[in-house]
Amino acid sequence: MTHTEPRTDTATLWDGPLARVAAGDRFAGLSATAEPGGLTLTAHLAVPGDIIAADVHLPGPPSAYPALTPRLGAAFWYEREIHDLFGIVPAGHPRLEPLVLPLLNGERRRPRPGAAGEPGRLDPDEHALPRHVHGTGVFTIPHGPVRSGVFESVEYLVETPGEDIPHLNIRVFYKHRGVEKRFEGRAAGDAVLLAERVEGIASVAHALAFAHACEHATGSEPPYAARLLRVAHAELERLANHLDVAMKLADAAGLAVATARFGLHKERVLRLAGRMSGSRFGRGVVVPGGVRALPSLRAAEIRAELDRLAAGIPADEDALLATASFLDRLRGTGPLMPERARAHGALGPVGRASGAGEDARAARPYDAYTELGAPAPGGWDDGDTLARLRVRCAETRYALAAVRRALDDLDDLGVDPPLRAPCAPEDGRAIGWAEAPQGELVYDVRFAAGRITRCRVRSASFHNLPLFHEVFAGDILTDFPFIEAGFGLSIAGAAG
Amino acid sequence: MWIFRGLRKGVVTTRWPAHPDPYADATRGPATLTTLTAGPGHAGPSGGDLAALCPTGAIRADGGVRLDQGRCIQCGRCVEARPDLFAWAAGPATAVTARGALVVPDTGEPGAERLADTRAALRRRTRALRRSVHIRHVDAGSDGADEWEILALLNPVYDVHRLGVFFTASPRHADILLVTGAGARGMTEPLRRTYDGMPDPRVVIAAGTDATGGGLHADSYATTGGITTAVPVDVWVPGSPPTPFALLHAILLATGRLPAAPAVRRSTP
Amino acid sequence: MNTVFLAGLALLALAAAVDLLLGGAYARLRGLPYLLGTAASACLLAAGAGRLAGHPAAIGLGDVPPLGAAGLAIDPLSALFLVIAFGAAVGVSPAFASRARRPGHPVRRGLGAAYALTLGATAVIVTARDIFTFLFAWEALTVAFYLLTGHERHRAGRAPAALGTLAFGKISGAALLLGMLLLAATAHRFSLAAFAAVPPGAVRAAAYALLVLGFATKIGLVPVHVWLPRGYAAAPGPARALMGGVAVNVGFYGLWRTLDLLGPPPAWLVIVVLVLAAVTAVLGIAHAAVQTDLHRVIAYSSVENAGLILAGFGVAATGMLTGERPLLAVGLLAATLQVAAHAAAKSLLFTTASGIEDAGGTSDLDRLRGAARRAPYSGTGFTIGALTLAGLPITAGFVSEWFILESLMQQFRVPGLAFRLTLALTGAAVALTAGFAGVTFVRLVGLVVLGPAPRTPPPAPDYRPAGRAGIIWLSAACLGIAAAAPLAIRLIAAGLAPIVPAATTESALKSPWVLQPVYADFSILSPSWLWVAMPALLALTIAATWLASGSRMWRVRRVPAWRSATAGVEGTDEYTAFGYANPTRRVLANVLHTRTDLHEHPGQAPAALHYTSDVIEIVEDYLYRPFIRPVRATVRTAKRLQSGRLDAYLAYMLIALIAVLALITATG
Repeated sequence: MTHTEPRTDTATLWDGPLARVAAGDRFAGLSATAEPGGLTLTAHLAVPGDIIAADVHLPGPPSAYPALTPRLGAAFWYEREIHDLFGIVPAGHPRLEPLVLPLLNGERRRPRPGAAGEPGRLDPDEHALPRHVHGTGVFTIPHGPVRSGVFESVEYLVETPGEDIPHLNIRVFYKHRGVEKRFEGRAAGDAVLLAERVEGIASVAHALAFAHACEHATGSEPPYAARLLRVAHAELERLANHLDVAMKLADAAGLAVATARFGLHKERVLRLAGRMSGSRFGRGVVVPGGVRALPSLRAAEIRAELDRLAAGIPADEDALLATASFLDRLRGTGPLMPERARAHGALGPVGRASGAGEDARAARPYDAYTELGAPAPGGWDDGDTLARLRVRCAETRYALAAVRRALDDLDDLGVDPPLRAPCAPEDGRAIGWAEAPQGELVYDVRFAAGRITRCRVRSASFHNLPLFHEVFAGDILTDFPFIEAGFGLSIAGAAG
Repeated sequence: MWIFRGLRKGVVTTRWPAHPDPYADATRGPATLTTLTAGPGHAGPSGGDLAALCPTGAIRADGGVRLDQGRCIQCGRCVEARPDLFAWAAGPATAVTARGALVVPDTGEPGAERLADTRAALRRRTRALRRSVHIRHVDAGSDGADEWEILALLNPVYDVHRLGVFFTASPRHADILLVTGAGARGMTEPLRRTYDGMPDPRVVIAAGTDATGGGLHADSYATTGGITTAVPVDVWVPGSPPTPFALLHAILLATGRLPAAPAVRRSTP
Repeated sequence: MNTVFLAGLALLALAAAVDLLLGGAYARLRGLPYLLGTAASACLLAAGAGRLAGHPAAIGLGDVPPLGAAGLAIDPLSALFLVIAFGAAVGVSPAFASRARRPGHPVRRGLGAAYALTLGATAVIVTARDIFTFLFAWEALTVAFYLLTGHERHRAGRAPAALGTLAFGKISGAALLLGMLLLAATAHRFSLAAFAAVPPGAVRAAAYALLVLGFATKIGLVPVHVWLPRGYAAAPGPARALMGGVAVNVGFYGLWRTLDLLGPPPAWLVIVVLVLAAVTAVLGIAHAAVQTDLHRVIAYSSVENAGLILAGFGVAATGMLTGERPLLAVGLLAATLQVAAHAAAKSLLFTTASGIEDAGGTSDLDRLRGAARRAPYSGTGFTIGALTLAGLPITAGFVSEWFILESLMQQFRVPGLAFRLTLALTGAAVALTAGFAGVTFVRLVGLVVLGPAPRTPPPAPDYRPAGRAGIIWLSAACLGIAAAAPLAIRLIAAGLAPIVPAATTESALKSPWVLQPVYADFSILSPSWLWVAMPALLALTIAATWLASGSRMWRVRRVPAWRSATAGVEGTDEYTAFGYANPTRRVLANVLHTRTDLHEHPGQAPAALHYTSDVIEIVEDYLYRPFIRPVRATVRTAKRLQSGRLDAYLAYMLIALIAVLALITATG
């Protein structure tokens, strides 16, 4: 990776990153790090074959900097997050409301990731946020934070004149856990456990992205057996996530049997992962430098279970995609135009359904994807909830095949293949990535004396969730569960 | 069309707890000690090293090894490093009715008399409904996996409706508050509002290690290290996340349809 | 009865005189014109009731040669409409009196006179026996409407509304004049009764259509309804009730009288009336459901009711045309019941809506949440009126709408596919209308009456005792017509006797307390028994709950309403009146031409979006708007003739005289 030189000239602060975006690189996030001499702003850019960090350093204790958002809309939430975490004002930002911390104002109690020491305790300020939509008869329906059903805590403020949803506002700060700050001071071996718990439903992907950062920092190369097992678990996780989306969509449409069927498939995938690794979410599998152990289930049993899954899942998906009453609810629901998706750099299945959404497995292959090959691009650009489901259905088929091939290759490696390369980063900084079921993850980790001093976690959920502001045009209140389920995001990953 | 697809599958639902379920018995619980009679000095000279094995500080080795399952995130470090001392607890019966009961060996903390009363009251109220209960779930800063395991209770394998257990949207109809997550400070007030909205008697279940002790997120600027400071907890379920069987066990325990956790906790052979 | 009737008219004249002479000079006397009007209304009500009970009345105005005898007479049909109109007026008038004495609201001279003129014109129209008296009273009513709608002309939108009311009043008057002159020219007499002698043919058909057009304009039939919502809403306070609940009945009377005098209408006219009735009902309720102003909701409900009533009238006309006498009876009975229910409920709604507007300080529905809680009499009356117009059980509206639907269901008894199809389609439209009426009035009652009480003190108190008495009177009418439905049907049957024998109409009574749609063995209903059964069921439910839970029923722990544990939002977090109607706006987007727009607020920080949504009166936009420009141009051209010079006007008159003479010479 390359790092641009620190600059302090604020007028031209963003010229470098903007020029790269204009040249075709994808904006992959903006973050900040508190440092003894001031504050470093980091724009992550996805370039062919790599993800690079463009740093700009603001000296002293800065109070403001020229906002990027007016020139690059995708930075909208990132600059709000920076404002929340550091108390620094992006001057010219269109709407600087609390996003990840329930704090309205004041420089006090900002956690400032990167700075040494434990920040003061958060004292939530439950003041109402300003309403965004004004006009005749407009009122707000608060969906959350305690939702109707078993959901993660988030508050969707549906600003509506009744029935239509002209605009949706989101408060994600309710369940902010301060994960980035929790990484600091931990060694890589412990920190991977935390990475698994950033987004519990994408434990393997997060562990992989973190491990990749560690491996990039030390230059260590995991053995092939480890890389195969990583792919197997990552694809099982993807399978479970996509089945979960199908289940929730079927549930929203009131298809009881389909809901039960996909629930059953998902349970079987989780049980398979659990019997292979001891954790239904594949936790503890990935360690920096490799994997912890071989599957604790015999290969024949895994294959038998995979056969069962392969016999059931594609058939049910085909049946679901042939149920007219179901398709009617999905078609044209929650549309995300391809131009908008590309401008935002929409990630994962949401992006891929709108002709964007670069797949990290193909664009920047890691682990055994290099050998096994990445899924072929589907070429969807309808951008509606149906297209999102189609992308996921295609990915479940790839996942079923990839797990099997990874296990076949693993068998060829003999009885006791090496599983770990030494990997204990001491000093330095590295970026790792992985394709989670929700989309690309980016970890930017700095080490000093074997401990993490700053770990930037850029989840796909955080990057994609702001698109929620925009996909409701023309949809009505009853479309909400479809759009939410179709996005398939994790609030834990968005709230940090 | 879907009906036939469903019928073709036959019955997939478990009959636990009325009948044993092999998968349930094989599920991995939190770490436990191999010898529950571990006395002072048993840990040997490596006491400090033992404590350092655990990333959440669940192991204490000063004057005898003690393991707090309420903080165990099931990473398996201890089991891997010292199989002579540590092992996995197995089976779904992991929930307890007193926080102290999660520490092995049991500290002998007084049992939960308050819960006994609550359980009796709940039993009385739900008697006419054959002990059917409604559950309100609240996420107080979970990683999202706990919600998946709770939702799994509704899939045809567990199908908690067969036991008269239902999830409800409004706390007005709820008997049980099922709380997950490490106690995010932003959720303290919403959690309290939900609890206040429930009718008496009400049982609170802390589901998952994050909820019982905060896990890796324990007590930071943004979390309170579990939910005990926000609401009075009656039933504790460790696990990161707890399996659906463990959750089901906790629910049945809370409603008084299962006896309180056995004093002796089994370990894998 | 003559004395009572004349006393009523005299009292009205006195009321007008008192208002014009005293104005608002003496605070204590401000209510006097209206109290006189109440007495007058009671007299006229008594005159009508007396006629129905068998005491005839007639007042000759002397012969006017060579035109024949002019005068007023109360026949059963006139009596029926006197009862309906002045029954409502008895309730509305005290509300006027009560409101006139509100402190801090100076009363401008003229409202009382316009009020008295309206009542007087109404009384004369329904009793007139000759063209001149009739048309004179009709024009007087048009002027009175203009005065009422223009009374607050300094307020926004009032002046154009008054002008529109006047224009359509003139159209109505012109149509009536033309139609009646056509008939008189053929009958060679000016008495209304002589019209019956006009032989069938093109003249009679044209006159029939013109009369229907003239009367339909007054009641707000599509497409001549555009003045009505605006005109009603522009009138001050209970004057809306006077227009929409009392005076509107002259339009219905006119139609009934036309059917009485001219007999079977041309077939095409019946079809047109039925189709327009269906369109009117649907369009009226569609607009009523989505209006954001309280008074306009109620005003559009008048349009809807015009549709419902004309649907019944259309059934009656079909029956008359095909000689199917029971069909004539059931259609006319249904329509008359609806006229009566509408008169009571609309008077009640407009009266109480005015009280609610005073209590809430606005008529914008979005800001009236819970306003009725601060005006308990108005609120209760409003609820009863709304339930009646929504056609819910134990109210008069339920009985009348049941009859209308039942009458439309008799389409299978009619020969001819065209009639059957039209009746069936109208029936479907009426059923749809009844459904949306429920939505419309649930919205009003749910938000304005049942909404949480506002914390601020009301800007004005509820009606004074006189107004409360009026509200109670009208509420009693809304409920009583249902409870004593058999009695009401007997009265109506007596009133309809000139058109259809009372015996036929009274076949609607299967047994003393059970109703049927005239035809036997079709369906039955007993609103009177509903009055017993429904309260009994309620009591039973409460008793059962009490038995099951004992004293726990009253032990309730109160916690804030569950709002998903939110920390709160800026602005409203409850359904607004606008929001409640939005699904309707979407469902009926084709009828309402709903247009929504979302755009960025320019130059505002933090950035905000502005949402607008509007519905369009399609008749006005597509039927009238294209003509407005050419009409204005014509008027500008015509203005040049108005030089203001006397010699010019004399020249015009000379030219006109020569032209008339030339015409007579040429045709003679």
